[in-house]
Order: sequence, then structure tokens, then C-alpha cells
Amino acid sequence: MVLYIPSDSLLHRLHPSTKIVGLALLLILTVAFQSPWYQLVILSGVLLLARSAGAFRNLRRILPLMITVLVFSVVSWSLFRRVGDPFWSFGLFTLSAESIRFGFAMGFRLEAMLVSGMVFVSCTKVEEFAYGLRSIGLPFAVSFALSLAFRLVPLFFTRIGTVVQAQQARGLDLKSGNVLQRARKYVPLLVPIFVYAIRDTDLLSMALESKGFGMRGRRTEYLSFPFVWRDYAILGLLLILNIAGWLMPVP
Amino acid sequence: MNQPILTLSDLAFTYRDAPKPALDQINYRHRSSEFTVIVGETGAGKSTLCRCLNGLIPSFTKGRLDGSLRVAGHRESGRPQVYELARIVGLVFQDFEAQLFSTNVELETAFALENFAVDRDQMKTRVEQALNRVGLSGFEHRDPSSLSGGEKQRLAIASVLAGSPSVVVMDEPTTDLDPVGKRDIFRLAQDMRNEIEGIILVEHETEHVLSADRILLMHEGRIVQEGPPGEILADPRNVERHGVRPLQTTVLLSELGLETDALTIQDAATRIRSAGWRVRDSAGEILNSARRREPLDEPRGEPPHETPSEPSGEPRQSVVRIEDLVFRYGEAPPAVDGVSLDIAAGEFVALVGQNGCGKTTLAKHLNGLHAPTEGEVRVLGRSTADWTLPELGRRVGYVFQNPDHQIFANTVRDEVAFGARNYGFSEEEVGEKVDAALAETGLSGRDLEDPFNLTRGERQQLAVASVLATDPEVLVLDEPTTGLDYHGQVAILNLVRRLNESGRTVVMITHSMWVVAEYADRCIIMSGGRVVQDADVRTCFSNPELLESLYLEAPEAVRLGYEFGLVARSVKEIADCLERVEE
Repeated sequence: MVLYIPSDSLLHRLHPSTKIVGLALLLILTVAFQSPWYQLVILSGVLLLARSAGAFRNLRRILPLMITVLVFSVVSWSLFRRVGDPFWSFGLFTLSAESIRFGFAMGFRLEAMLVSGMVFVSCTKVEEFAYGLRSIGLPFAVSFALSLAFRLVPLFFTRIGTVVQAQQARGLDLKSGNVLQRARKYVPLLVPIFVYAIRDTDLLSMALESKGFGMRGRRTEYLSFPFVWRDYAILGLLLILNIAGWLMPVP
Repeated sequence: MNQPILTLSDLAFTYRDAPKPALDQINYRHRSSEFTVIVGETGAGKSTLCRCLNGLIPSFTKGRLDGSLRVAGHRESGRPQVYELARIVGLVFQDFEAQLFSTNVELETAFALENFAVDRDQMKTRVEQALNRVGLSGFEHRDPSSLSGGEKQRLAIASVLAGSPSVVVMDEPTTDLDPVGKRDIFRLAQDMRNEIEGIILVEHETEHVLSADRILLMHEGRIVQEGPPGEILADPRNVERHGVRPLQTTVLLSELGLETDALTIQDAATRIRSAGWRVRDSAGEILNSARRREPLDEPRGEPPHETPSEPSGEPRQSVVRIEDLVFRYGEAPPAVDGVSLDIAAGEFVALVGQNGCGKTTLAKHLNGLHAPTEGEVRVLGRSTADWTLPELGRRVGYVFQNPDHQIFANTVRDEVAFGARNYGFSEEEVGEKVDAALAETGLSGRDLEDPFNLTRGERQQLAVASVLATDPEVLVLDEPTTGLDYHGQVAILNLVRRLNESGRTVVMITHSMWVVAEYADRCIIMSGGRVVQDADVRTCFSNPELLESLYLEAPEAVRLGYEFGLVARSVKEIADCLERVEE
């Protein structure tokens, strides 16, 4: 994917389906706990994973988002959630030890989810993602369409960039005018973009068919990923953590 | 007598809702190990024919198909599916951007094999062989989007070759490529001919396909002539009438009144000499005093401008002055790396160089689409940093490579008026400017037509008209001839020349070296973001070694001139320098 960071880390070497299922298990695990301390442990664990996968570069990119999410959820849950004994209140807002705890728990949970997702995209190529989806049972056409979408989005943006430049060169000014006037200014962009999208899709479909896409029957895979001990180990560990987490009385 | 691989009998195809057939009465047999080239004007049915060969027509593109297509090795039962024929007939498209979709080179090549359910071990070998065949070994893990145009097209060929088709059909594979990219593809086609059963290539540049076994000349959906190159290409007038640029050798031979069936440069030169033609003693003066280029047939109001190399007159006003320009996209190495240039009013400048050498990036500084990372660009005496983008865009008209990137209006008139309206001219002024622009581009009277119904060549003229309507002093054109047949190319080039002769400064990016030779005054060659040669066109072509080292090649007419020790820019100039010595 776009954010993929080439590396040879343990996480990178996992089987694609381990990555997908592992991500799902991690996300489920974060929902199991309500305590900020447990959430903090999970978040630290996930950050360690990010470190080991060399994904910090991507985390830095979304740092503003991460800070916003944390601050927003701590502040809003603390102020709006009415649990326990409020020690302060002002109109709609209340504050209690429990609501603050909850705010932090939610904040850490969202962070953990964000970081897990980021680790996933940092260590999974598009074709691995598609392969993983196929190996957990998705039909080829669906996984192929998904991976194609990932592929075509950046290409599509390049096309849009060209069209925007071509019209700007003819004096199109998207910044001035009221909402209605501005909306109308998008017509000179949308028509060529649609023409292009249709034409490109048509050509790509022809290229795919010309290489045997849509053939019935068995299909082989060029890529192959061995499913080995580390995959069992990681999935086993995550499974045990989940069972333990969900069986444990909610702390 | 070997068996034909493809047999087309009375094949005809009409696109759904089209008034007349795109293909009609096509009869053709492709025999083993044949290399066939299809030529013809835009709309002659070349692409339609290619798409019939692997079954895309009629199974993907609907319409009415009559007659029969027989493919050796394919069992005939009903209408074949594309995936069945794809194993036998591999198709490579012109647009390499749109036909690649994988994240790395190796997976792109393996795609067909996966669909054909080839075993993994065998797949590895075949991918390796195919990449090796097209010279992309070592590129296995590269992202296709990081490849050059020529490499992308070779990858597209590899991805077809990997499936081991009997016949490879290539539909104008070199149109969007720079000269090296083109040469690589032609060499590849040449080398492949002994390895596979057959090659069918659609190509405009006949000079590169002289070694073909057969040429099919198409016109209005029919194969009007079929035969070896020596037969079909030896008639320059006939070739040109069908929208194909004739071989310059045959043009010169016919100009001198000789038999035109010597196609290669050496053969033609030999024939000319043995017919008693010699270079005049005054050849040097003739070339020196030759006007910078052929005058147009139509009389023009204003006299042509002088070339910058001519010493007469005061120094002309500088229109564009670039000083130490550096431009980087993000943190990438500079796309333009220390360029300094001065372009005077009324010049006709060609900007050439390989794909990715920074031509377009440089050109986009002229109308402010890019702002310098370092250095300065001055247009009409003022730094581009001090111009507003719209104002600069009005003075420097920029015609993008593909007219379809900008055409959106319902009528030709509205399309042309778009720019002028954006710049806030009164409706009356807009009307006048649009009329003038339509007249200059030869589109008068077609105001109310739908732009999407125009031919590709007319749409390109429309794009120029829409820029002209804002009355710019400088015109920048990015590869205006790409994708046009010869008539379309000549029409747009003559248009640009007229605009230049009426006083506008022209900067044209192009891959076509004959266009440089015959139309430009000055040639700027870029390589790796730098200007490596900046001189008048004749000087540029007087150094073939330098061109070669920059992966460029003098065009056919210029190389034909070399045979006589001349640096001529066109066949006409060569003819002027020759005289017949009576025995």
C-alpha cells in the first residue's frame, strides 16, 4: 500500500493472513478492557510492535491526528460521561474520577487501534493484502478488485492533477466566488476527469481480458507465503490474550 | 506451404450504433514467422482489427461482426472467448500507463500465467525469460510506476510474452515514447520475429519497419493494399494520401525524377549518385542562405522574423529569461537542475530530450504552474513570482499534451470562450477573440459542433484555439503531434508555424526529430534536468555523435543529407543542393 515501508522485520515476514487475522484479534483485544491501565499496556505493546516494524516514520505522519484523537476523547468523555461521583460540574459538563478514567481508556484504545492499523499498512504490500484475503476465503475477483482500487487511486489523483493544471492554465480560478459560482467552476474539471476515468477503465479491462482474466476454472498464484511457526506463535498468543481478556471480570 | 496462423475471411465489424462499418471485407492470412505492419490514417480501422484478433471484439466491445476469424490451434466452436484466444494471440496496447496495474514488475509479468493456471515453478522460469527477453532483468521488484515510458511499454510486452502466445499484436506501441524508447521497441520486435510465430505491428513511422515481411495499408475499414515494403512504401504520394508520412528517401527520389523503390538511406544515396547527381559547389551557401525553413504555401501578412543566429538588426527583446533554475518535487533529486536560458520574441524553440529529462517541468515554469525552488524565471521582463497565476496564464498560453485533459464544453465556441471568459473580458470582446481564434485555427463555422465529435487532430486544434482566444504572446505546446496521423500532424504544425510567423514566441516540447528539423529555429536538448545543447537547429544536427550520446537521432531526411556531406533540414534542401552532371 501507499504507506508500505520495506523492511525484513518479523512482522513483515508474517504470512499475509496472519497479518489480517492478527490485526483483527488486536482490535478485538482493545475492546475487551475498560481500564486505562490495561489500555496503556496494550498501547505500549502495539507501539513496541510499531517500533520493531520500523513504522514510526508513518506514525510521525499521523502524529497530529493521534494527538487530536487523544485530547478530544479524553476531554469529551471526561466532561460528558456521567458516571460516579462528580466532583465538579458546570451546566452540561461534569467531572468525576470515573469519567476521567474512562476518557483516558477510550483515548488509549483509539490510539492503540490507530497504531495497529498503521503497523498493518506499514508492513503489508497490496498484493500480500489481496493474497491474505484470498487465503482466508475471499473470492479472487473481490480481492483483485480491492487491490486494484489501492493501485488506481494514486493514478487517478495524478490524472486529476493534470486536468486541474490544464484548466488553471486557461485561467480557471477555483478560489473566488460564492458557493454556487464555485460549484459551477468544477464542471470544467469533472467532464474531462470522467472522460478519463471511463476511458482508462475501459482500456484496463481490455488489457486484463487480453491476459486471460475472467478465465474459468483453476488459477495459480505466483506468490507463495509459507505458514510457519512464527505465524502459529503470534496467532496463538493473540488468541490466548483475547480469551484471557474476555473471560476476565471487567476491571 | 506452411499453414496460416490467422485467417480472416470477409471480416466486417460495425460498432453498436455506428452508421457505417469500422471494418469491411477484411481478408488476410498470417503465415508462420511473418512480421506484418499495418499502416493507415486515424480511423482506418487498425485498432479495431487488432481487437478482433484476440476476440476483444465482439466479446468485450459489442457490435455486429460478420465473416470469420480462424486461429490455428484453437478449436472452433461458437464465438471464442477472449481468455481462450489470449493464449494464442497476445495484444499490447498503445497506452502503457493504462495497461499496467501490479505493484511490481515480476507480478505484472506473472499475471497472465496465473490466469492460465501455469505451475509456480514453471511460472518463475517464464517470468524470468520474458523479462530477460525485453531487457528488464534486474527490475523484478521495481514498482512499474517508477519505470520510464519505454521500460513500461517493454514490461507490457513482457507480460504478454510470458503467456507464450503464437502471435503478438502491438497496437502503436511506440506512439508515446521518446526516440530511445521507440528504438528499443523496434529492436525487440526485430529480435522476436524468429522466436515466435508472428508479429503484427501497427506503426506510423515506416522508416523503422522496412524489414517487415508485409505491409497492410488500411483505409476506411478496408485493407486497400498489401505487399512487401518495397512495393507499398515505394509510392510516396500514395502513402501520404493514406495519412502516413512517406519515407523521405522516396520523396527525394521522386523529387529528382528517379525510380522510388530504393527505400533505405544507403540505397537511395547510391541510386542518386549513379544517376549522375552531385552536390553543387555552392551547396554551403545555399544552405547558409536558405531561409530558416520552407515558406508556407499560403501568403502571410507579416514578414517572417529573423533567426537569432542572423547577425542583422539589434538584439531582440527577451521574452523568457531563466536564471539558474532548480526545481524539486518534494525531496526528490531536482527535476530541473540549474537551467539558464534566454528566449527572444518571435523565436520558435524546440525542447527535446528523453522522457523524464525535465522538459515538461521546465515548461510549466513559464506559465507559473510550477514555481522555482531556486533561481528565477522572468517572463516579459517580470519575475514569475510577481505575476498572478491567471495573468501569467493569459500571456503564456500552454497547450497540454492531450486535448482531452481540458475539453469539457458542449460546443466548440464555448470551449474556446472558456479561457477568455475566465480572464474577465466583456462578452463582446470574448466574441471577437473567439472568432479570431477559430479563424486562425481553421475551425470557423464549426462553432456549434460538439467537441467530442471532432477528430483527435481537430480536438488538438481546438485546444490551441482555446489558448489563442486569450491572445497570449508566448505559446507553449507539449507534444502537440502525439497520437495524430500524418495529416493531423502537418495540420497542427502548420498552424503553430503560422502563429509563430504572426509574431508569437513558440516553445514546443517534442519527441519527433523531423518536426524539430523542419519547423523549429532553435533546439534545446535536455538531459537529467540540465540543458546539454542549445543552438540553432542546423548546428544541433551537425553533430550526430552528440545526438547519439544523448539517445537522440537525426531524422531520416537529415541522415539522408549526411550521405552527401550536407547538414540539410529537409528533403527539399537536399534537392536544392544537388545538380545533375551530364555525362
